[in-house]
Amino acid sequence: MTAPPTARPGFVKRRLRAVFDVAAFLALSAGLVWLIVRGADAMHYNWQWYRIPQYFIDVIDGELYAAPFLRGLYVTIEIVALSLPLSIAFGFAAALASRTRSVTAHFLNRAYVETIRNTPLLVQIYIFYFVLAPILGAGRFTAGILALAVYEGAYAAEILRAGIDAIPKGQWEAARSLGLSPYNVYRYVVVPQLIRFVLPPLTNLAVALIKGSAIVSVIAIFELTTEAKNLISETFMTFEIWFTVAAIYLVLTTSLSAVAYGLEARLKRRGA
Amino acid sequence: MAVPGATKRRWTWLDVILLALIAAAIGWIAYRVNTELHYKWDWGKIVPNYFFRYDAERGRWVINLLGEGLLMTIRLAVWGAIASAILGVLLGLCRVSNVLFFRLLGQVYVEIVRNVPAIVFVFAFFFFISGQIIPLLGVDEFLRNARTESPVLILLIDIFLSKPELLTNFVAGLIVLSVFEAAWVAEIVRAGIESIPKGQWEAARSVGLSNWTVMRYVILPQAIQKVFPPLAGQFINVIKDSSLVALISIQELTFAAFEISVSTTRVFEVWISCAVVYFGVCFALSLAFRRFERLRTRTL
Repeated sequence: MTAPPTARPGFVKRRLRAVFDVAAFLALSAGLVWLIVRGADAMHYNWQWYRIPQYFIDVIDGELYAAPFLRGLYVTIEIVALSLPLSIAFGFAAALASRTRSVTAHFLNRAYVETIRNTPLLVQIYIFYFVLAPILGAGRFTAGILALAVYEGAYAAEILRAGIDAIPKGQWEAARSLGLSPYNVYRYVVVPQLIRFVLPPLTNLAVALIKGSAIVSVIAIFELTTEAKNLISETFMTFEIWFTVAAIYLVLTTSLSAVAYGLEARLKRRGA
Repeated sequence: MAVPGATKRRWTWLDVILLALIAAAIGWIAYRVNTELHYKWDWGKIVPNYFFRYDAERGRWVINLLGEGLLMTIRLAVWGAIASAILGVLLGLCRVSNVLFFRLLGQVYVEIVRNVPAIVFVFAFFFFISGQIIPLLGVDEFLRNARTESPVLILLIDIFLSKPELLTNFVAGLIVLSVFEAAWVAEIVRAGIESIPKGQWEAARSVGLSNWTVMRYVILPQAIQKVFPPLAGQFINVIKDSSLVALISIQELTFAAFEISVSTTRVFEVWISCAVVYFGVCFALSLAFRRFERLRTRTL
């Protein structure tokens, strides 16, 4: 709330207004849902929500099996878990390159960041899959992971560079004057402080990776989105499946965002 | 490794190593492509042909698939930026409103759109649009009437929107793109308004201006100054994200590249030139915005 209200209404009145606003919002949401349902009915859409749970967990002969959604979710998490450290490594290399005196390192850093930032992720994934994968002799899974890691690495580079810049100059000077080598300055002085600065933005990077991982479905890696597309072509439950998948992603990303928010709040409280 | 402040660039031992590595990488790639994959590069015939081709019958150069794709991308981006800016400003104002109802509305919209993967949003929303909204808009009927009544209108549509036969397709892609990008614009607008110091509100209120007048004459003029650079960056994002609507068969640059790479099997050339075109457009724009920003801050 930006604008301070004219005259602050009383407590009861404020509460009543809040209740009214929430009720109005719920009514609007219900209206939207009703419109979607009515529109779907007009298309003779056959709602089959009851069939959704079996695509999470399957029971065959009394034993539990992971069905498409859970399998896809597992692969999505696998993709994120593999490409996150890689993207941080790329980002760190690029951030270091931008801090050297070397002309070539600077050029490489700029070329990397600008290329990634000025082309669509989708095109980058196609380039990795259709052009680089055959050259490197890599499979589609490797190509997808590499594409995501290189893409997010360019953003990680900016985060890490800002983090390194945020470390006070005195820290560098003190470390150097103690006679630490450049490697040891980074190892014992810079990186431990850097981690605290960059943990919240790097958590947001993980959120971006979860969202980005959906795009590798275009090269048929069997993660959540691909599983969803295949299920839709089998069952034609387009609405139910997309809503479910969107909800799964929403839960993943918002819970991670909450973690990032909590980390940031803690960092602020400590007065870092 | 340098201490901060020591940014004067020069040639160092690191350059020697890096240049050697680059040379080795280029050599290895060339070896793999030419010797092991036996890839026959064919830049001359294929790619320029697909941007423009010589029409022997009419005796002049005409635009071809990739060129048309690029035009479609640009039209999508321009109209998408305009539409998402309007919707995004409204949502941004909702997010800073005094009324809880509007705040809830803005927040739920922004959180959902920003936390669901773009591609899932595009697929899910497109199914909804193509099934329910497009028939409601009556684009086909409008076109049929326009065809019989005014050829000028058709010409205008052809120039500013898309080929008339692809108009439905274009409108669907435009709606998906705008609704998606609006959430990002909303966050930029909110950040801009919230960055105006509280004292501005208090001062304006204390001279007796109403809430709306404060917003109109005090806050927004300052906020607009602040949101210009991120909004310019957002325009580049719209261009990049417009590639996503290729997945719902909107015939823009990425879609054209995909089709041509399949039909000609000149995979390397087509994808590299597609990326180069995107890079050219986006990089040129970002340089122009940076330059403009420097000029603007200097004159302030």
